[in-house]
Amino acid sequence: MTAHSGETPTETPGARTAVDFAAGHETAGADVPAGPLAQSLRQYFRAWGLQIRSGNSGILPVVLAVVLVAVVFEIITPEHAFLRPSNLVYIFGLSTVYMVLAMAETVVLLLAEIDLSVGAVALIGGVIAFKLVQQPGPGWPWWAAILATLACCGVIGALQGTLVARLKIPSFVVTLGGFLLFSGILVVILGGANGSLSVSSTAPNQRVIYDLVQGLIPPVAGWVALAVVVGIAGAALWLRASARRRQGLVTPPASLIAIRIALVALVGVAVVLVCAVNRGTALVAVAGVPWVIPIVFVVLGAWTLLLQRTRFGRYVYAIGGNPEAARRAGVSLVAIRTWSFALCSATAGLGGILLGSFFYGQYSTNTSDPGQLVLYSVGASVIGGVSLFGGRGKAIHGVLGGLLIGGIAYGVSLLNLGPLASPLEYIVPGGVLLAAVLVDVLSRRGTGSVTRV
Amino acid sequence: MSDVIDPTAAPAATAADVPPELLAQSLRQYFRAWWLRVRSGDSGVLPVVLAIVIVAISFQVANSKFLSAQNLVNLFEQSTVYMLLAMAEIFALLLGEIDLSVGLVMAFGAVVVAQLVQPNGLHWPWWAAIAVTLLACAAVGAIQGWAVARLRMPSFIVTLGGLLILEGVCIVLLGGSLVSIGNSRFTNERVLYDIFNGWFDPVVGWILLVVVVGAAVTGVLLSEARKRRNGLETPPRSLTALKIVLTTVAGIGLVAICNVNRAHSGTIEGVPYIIPIVLVVLAAWTVLLQRTRFGRYVYAIGGNPEAARRAGVKLVSVRIWAFVLASLTSGIAGVLFVSWQVSITTNIIKAANSYVLLAVAAAVIGGTSLFGGRGRTMHGVLGGLVIGGIYNGLYLLGVQSQWIDVVVAAVLLAAAAVDVLSRRGAPRQA
Repeated sequence: MTAHSGETPTETPGARTAVDFAAGHETAGADVPAGPLAQSLRQYFRAWGLQIRSGNSGILPVVLAVVLVAVVFEIITPEHAFLRPSNLVYIFGLSTVYMVLAMAETVVLLLAEIDLSVGAVALIGGVIAFKLVQQPGPGWPWWAAILATLACCGVIGALQGTLVARLKIPSFVVTLGGFLLFSGILVVILGGANGSLSVSSTAPNQRVIYDLVQGLIPPVAGWVALAVVVGIAGAALWLRASARRRQGLVTPPASLIAIRIALVALVGVAVVLVCAVNRGTALVAVAGVPWVIPIVFVVLGAWTLLLQRTRFGRYVYAIGGNPEAARRAGVSLVAIRTWSFALCSATAGLGGILLGSFFYGQYSTNTSDPGQLVLYSVGASVIGGVSLFGGRGKAIHGVLGGLLIGGIAYGVSLLNLGPLASPLEYIVPGGVLLAAVLVDVLSRRGTGSVTRV
Repeated sequence: MSDVIDPTAAPAATAADVPPELLAQSLRQYFRAWWLRVRSGDSGVLPVVLAIVIVAISFQVANSKFLSAQNLVNLFEQSTVYMLLAMAEIFALLLGEIDLSVGLVMAFGAVVVAQLVQPNGLHWPWWAAIAVTLLACAAVGAIQGWAVARLRMPSFIVTLGGLLILEGVCIVLLGGSLVSIGNSRFTNERVLYDIFNGWFDPVVGWILLVVVVGAAVTGVLLSEARKRRNGLETPPRSLTALKIVLTTVAGIGLVAICNVNRAHSGTIEGVPYIIPIVLVVLAAWTVLLQRTRFGRYVYAIGGNPEAARRAGVKLVSVRIWAFVLASLTSGIAGVLFVSWQVSITTNIIKAANSYVLLAVAAAVIGGTSLFGGRGRTMHGVLGGLVIGGIYNGLYLLGVQSQWIDVVVAAVLLAAAAVDVLSRRGAPRQA
């Protein structure tokens, strides 16, 4: 299974070129990342094209898929309602849950493991947070409740990770057990099969949790925040590139950085613009960016920094690429694996709090099916471009995959298909998941790095 | 190979590589060889038998009704679905793959068979409905197996996607809110209903037992006599006698328990039909896996796919067939399932999904390895009995279903840990 498929010694990068005689020049070129060496925009795009053709297509397929889904649903939904601002904002809210869970799943997939308990752990996290702010009840302040939830879920993940990393029980079984276990405990915390928990939108403390997804940043504040964020991010990117250039390090061309900053700004403007449209009535205006959008960006930023810029992240990729090589290079497999599971579960816990807020602060045993949440989160990661075989993927892939899944799920529900609506809720994600994995498998076959018999 | 990798292995462990039971000449030698094998990590059915005994004793202590004939028959009946699904899962596990769709294939089979016999619908005879259902389930397995074997997509994902799609298909096939086979005015519905809920007359039960045990004993004795004549290795006669006696005692016990009147009022006594059905499936798959070339290839691939490929085993076709058989067995479970539930609703279809966890748990608890190459169909039956016993016992104690899930999860994790640790002890695990 995936758990030990990566441990064959034939998967070392050196052997990859040796094994795959039939591969074209592109494949050999992709082994040395051509992007960083490019000196001009044209060279960079050429290198990028080569990389895509060699099978390492990054976020391109999922971006195309998002565009395709948007166009198709806009055409086929009654009254072309899919791209209305009110629907788009609803999709953002729905998708954020999948995005956060997919980011959680991504770190575990990078290790070539799997966490089937993210759905159940997310619901447990949400229920714990809701329980802690109950009044009468524990009545904790909201920040303490959220922190306690993240810690609790982190411990759950660390326990599962210990079983995987230390006892070498396949992650798939450990987390399958965890899934059952926490689905049961979830019902216990909720107080039986008919139990429920809710946070009020009026009590000041509980309102913060209610507002995580439901609350809105006023349009003006949204524009200001966007300007500040894009300004800071752009300045940071630009300063870092010029610092590197001063030091004589390899840097992408300045025009490329400008394009990137412009693209990010464009996406930000589009999001704020869509959210600034009044979605309510003329009397009761509903407009503004939901709080959850900046929250997801913060999570995305944190995960991206952790995976791309820290030693921990490099070790995760190293283990996912070839655990034996990583071990011989001195990476502590046990520690990295355990921490990854802990971080995965903590992120899932945050997703659970968002989920409760998305459902208007209500949590019951019917709020969400933990099994389906897992499927969606694994599906979102893989659709986004995270490889199931470990070592390939980024946090942004989870976000884009989550957006795609959310868009499809909501688009299908808009179609007024009558009796077909309910089955399509299952069939469409299943088909998309299979298609994504097929692409993953075939693209890796192109690079010659799949040596599974 | 194992000697090279693990020079520290005890001599006892190395001995397990050659099945010493085959060489044993006396009962005493046989038991010594068996004990060495258990100590080397290949413990077979011993842990699960111990688990059954522990489950039985602890629930009996907690509630004296647990081992009553009435409850035991109930327990057997409830366990049959787990047993069949576990037997299905074992085909995938033996290859080192996994089939997460068994629960939904079961629901698919249940919906298909129920729709086919609807009197105001297709109104097929029951036997045609069952045959077509099993074929349809096998086709599902063939498609999934093709994606796994030919495209080399991870089985985990193929069957995950498969179960999602099947869930949708089931809801489409269901049409309205429910389909039922509970109308006893129609013969076809009654036959389906009786598969789970019908039973043999006590006298017929005894006759069946005599016939089955007699045929099995004759078969075993004849095959051993032939082997002995041809100068092949045969187990000691005393061992064969012991096995026959144990099987007969178990059979007599089973029939005796089933023949006790278990009705609150009136008379319900006799062996339920499903018990021989499960035993037939068990026998068929045991013969297939232990006595045919296909079975040997399955174990070969599970042990080392590359070695099997180089030895000339066609990985693709064996893998596809294993998935077909897994889905076929799930389809049999589906026929039982509809007979058990009587009517199928969307909620039952959704609930069917959780059965896959129980199927994997039952197989692993029974002693089937998650890493492929180790396990028998029998393990599924014994593991299914443990799961059924836990469910039944906790239910008798009035434990809420969420806690039952917690206990099953703990048992699954414990079984997986035993699997991993026992393989660590065995020299085969490098």
